[in-house]
Amino acid sequence: MALIALLLLPLLGGLAAYIVAGKGRGDAERWVTIVTLAATLAVLILAMAGSGDGRWMAQVMVPWVPSLGISINFALDGLSAALIAIAAGLGIICVMASWRDIRVDSGLFHACVCWTIAATIGVFMSFDLLVFVFFWEAMLIPSFMLIAIWGHGDKEGAALKFLIFNAVAGFGLLAAVFALASMAGHMTFNAFELAELKLSPTAQVWLLLGFSLAFLVKLSVPPFHAWLPDAHTLAPTAGSILLAGVLLKTGGYGLFRFAPMLFPDGLAVLAPYALALGAAGALYGGFVACGQTDAKRLVAYTSIAHMSIVLMGVAAGVHYALAGAAVEMVAHSFSASALFMLIGALYERTQTRDLRQLGGLQQTAPRFAAAFAMFCSALLALPGTANFVGEALVVVGIFQVNWPFALVALSTLIVSVVYATRLLKGVVFGEARPRHVIDLSWREYVPVIVLSVATLVVGLYPQSLIALLEPAIKAALVLKLP
Amino acid sequence: MTADQLIALSPLIAVALGAVAAMLLAPVMHSDRAARFAAATGMAVAALIVIFRVGTPPHPIGALYTDDGLARFGTAYAAMFGLAALVFLRVGNVAKEAPALVALVALGAASLAGAGHAATLFLGLELISLSLIALFAFPLSAAALEAGYKFLVMSGLATSAQLLGVALIYAETGALDFPGWTGQGALFALGGALLLSGLAFKFSLAPFHMWTPDAFEGAPAGAAALAGVVSKAAVAIAILRLNSEASLAQPLWSGGLAALGVASVLIGNLLALRQPLLPRMLGYSTIAHSGYIALILASGAPKAAEAVLFYLGIYAPALTAALCASAMLGQRPTLEDVRGLAKTRPLEATALVIGLLSLAGLPAAGGFIAKVYLFQSLVVTSSWVLLVVAAIGASLGFYYYARFFTAPFVGKSRIEPAPRHRADRVLLIFCAVVILLFGFEPTLLVTAVTTALAVR
Repeated sequence: MALIALLLLPLLGGLAAYIVAGKGRGDAERWVTIVTLAATLAVLILAMAGSGDGRWMAQVMVPWVPSLGISINFALDGLSAALIAIAAGLGIICVMASWRDIRVDSGLFHACVCWTIAATIGVFMSFDLLVFVFFWEAMLIPSFMLIAIWGHGDKEGAALKFLIFNAVAGFGLLAAVFALASMAGHMTFNAFELAELKLSPTAQVWLLLGFSLAFLVKLSVPPFHAWLPDAHTLAPTAGSILLAGVLLKTGGYGLFRFAPMLFPDGLAVLAPYALALGAAGALYGGFVACGQTDAKRLVAYTSIAHMSIVLMGVAAGVHYALAGAAVEMVAHSFSASALFMLIGALYERTQTRDLRQLGGLQQTAPRFAAAFAMFCSALLALPGTANFVGEALVVVGIFQVNWPFALVALSTLIVSVVYATRLLKGVVFGEARPRHVIDLSWREYVPVIVLSVATLVVGLYPQSLIALLEPAIKAALVLKLP
Repeated sequence: MTADQLIALSPLIAVALGAVAAMLLAPVMHSDRAARFAAATGMAVAALIVIFRVGTPPHPIGALYTDDGLARFGTAYAAMFGLAALVFLRVGNVAKEAPALVALVALGAASLAGAGHAATLFLGLELISLSLIALFAFPLSAAALEAGYKFLVMSGLATSAQLLGVALIYAETGALDFPGWTGQGALFALGGALLLSGLAFKFSLAPFHMWTPDAFEGAPAGAAALAGVVSKAAVAIAILRLNSEASLAQPLWSGGLAALGVASVLIGNLLALRQPLLPRMLGYSTIAHSGYIALILASGAPKAAEAVLFYLGIYAPALTAALCASAMLGQRPTLEDVRGLAKTRPLEATALVIGLLSLAGLPAAGGFIAKVYLFQSLVVTSSWVLLVVAAIGASLGFYYYARFFTAPFVGKSRIEPAPRHRADRVLLIFCAVVILLFGFEPTLLVTAVTTALAVR
């Protein structure tokens, strides 16, 4: 039941935020959102503390549309719990980051934030594939509205691109889910039952391609990334935080969870191509990021590079690489969201994100500059940060499988130094432009501290996270070393 | 005629009495309230009778009319959404006799749903067509007259094609009732093809769709809802019955249906893409939705009947909500008019957005489950080409639906807040709630559909 509450809390919280905002008193909708998301976190902790069976911390199963064999089948393990915690936590940070920024239609805005989070929570714990698709597509609508209504510039164009790319890719997933379900003797979408099917490798390859279409578009691995730079850049700060911190992770989660579980043989066939795709994507994202002058666009391209590393980790399929991919997803949620929040705060103060027009933050706003330095270090995977753990584990894992690709993965770390220092130099050092920048307020500083501590804790004591993720990593461990 | 048979026919009798009463009242009364009340009562009583008869076994009435679950579902559907269309037909500047015609359309749809015989099939289709011609043209504006005239000409063509088709089938088989329609001859095949083209016209399947966008743009929105919801559902049910009872020439019949469905999905969605007029966009979108239903019908999936009825059950409140909201905004609201609507006309905006979400097949709205049924029918029959076409169509659909369902939340509105009639408000809320209810708890509609289908 706790799992149902996890879903319903943000869903109803969003509705409540919308309603109280209509009454038009102060910041009620912001507090409602924060309280419901905090309650979601509390329920999550309760669910995690509950008695599990070793593999799953909690499970629930309720029939939904029996005539089509659809049931609500939620299960929670460490990976789901970590990502759900990130979703709810980043939701609170979104509210704090857009406290002053969002003043128009604030009720609907907070409702959209809550509903995006509710839908992603649904994605992270659904094991009925059709319900998974349901949440997969449901999360598009509120996040689409976040971009289309509160974005900047050509927001509607960017939002439409985001919607169409993801919706079209969603059909690949839907068609593959149906094709998979039709192969079972009776109509079922239960992933645990479908995983027991003995499918031929050819069938698995085709079905996995259908699944991967949706996952790779969401993960924005080149050449499926065209929607991401615009969507990230033109979205409001909260939208960028949710996109980078939560929505991209749904793609990584889908690959990590379902590719090895449902299609082990198909994954074995496709893994070398996926490694190559990931390697190319990581290099591409890194190099393009180096050439950006818009700070937000730069971070958007680094997301492409990092998510490509996640793809490589899943494709490599050995223990180190899978652990690395999972840690990298979590670490990237921290660092990318923090950077998007900082850049959003900077834009609010200076009305520009152009690296050529910014600089000298360390003179004008030292706390701001320190925060930037912290997360730029995370971006370049400095040892001691969670990102280092993730990327290092992935590289080590790939070395066990295929050393040339490991060298490529390693070289992306060098590229990351270039773009991260470029961002750092452009914003923090040099001549102070503009002359006066208000330093971070407490509402911005608290999230920065929380995310920094999280990054450092995982970076310095990775076992804290890896122990949590271990059952999910073990379950994804199906490939044999060549 | 036994009492049981009379009870079985009573929904049709109620609608017919409503129509007659409305017709008689219209000239003597000053306002059209009495006529509307009479027609509405007839349809409401018909719907209630059907609901009270849930679970009763079918009573054979004769060759002309079948009293099975399919017919009952169609009758209740026609009565309920005829009633809904009557609500917002009021804003369409129509004559006092209009309510009688609405009841006649519902009557035609109800008899079509129970048609097991060529005579009833023809009667139902003609009753719908003739009433719709008048309803389309009623405002007597240039656009309305164009819509009515186009429908008249094409309807005449379709009727003659269909009559010729039935005649050819009769020549080959010597039977007018559906179960007697079996054969292989060339005349039989040609007859089937002509019959299909006649039905495709009412179903607004491409290439027989030309009248639809004009009707949605020029005719009153209530009349468009009758054409888009009530008559279309009746034709879908008629094809469902033909599929199960008659053995028409295969693969011509299913292949033809599939080809028409593919053409409609592609043409409807492509033409809707850049359409700035809301009602015209809805017109093209109904062509696409007819296409999806035709694909289910053509697939021959074992659960095709369930899928089609579920699809219709979701589609009706969605299109009704969108059309009613559109009618509240004026005769020809554009994309620009819809902008910022959430502030000035929140109820219309909400109903429109939820309706469009459902038509787009996005989750939380019932349309998602309807899409699941569509995909499921195509997958279990391994109709991969049709599946790809449906997926392309649905992806294209996202674009134009998204343009309209985001617009209410952005920009400044040009439309002033205005008072609404109580009935409109109730209808908009009802449709929105039903769509969301079926989206989260589809079992309700699935149960209704399977209960209806169990009566045979």
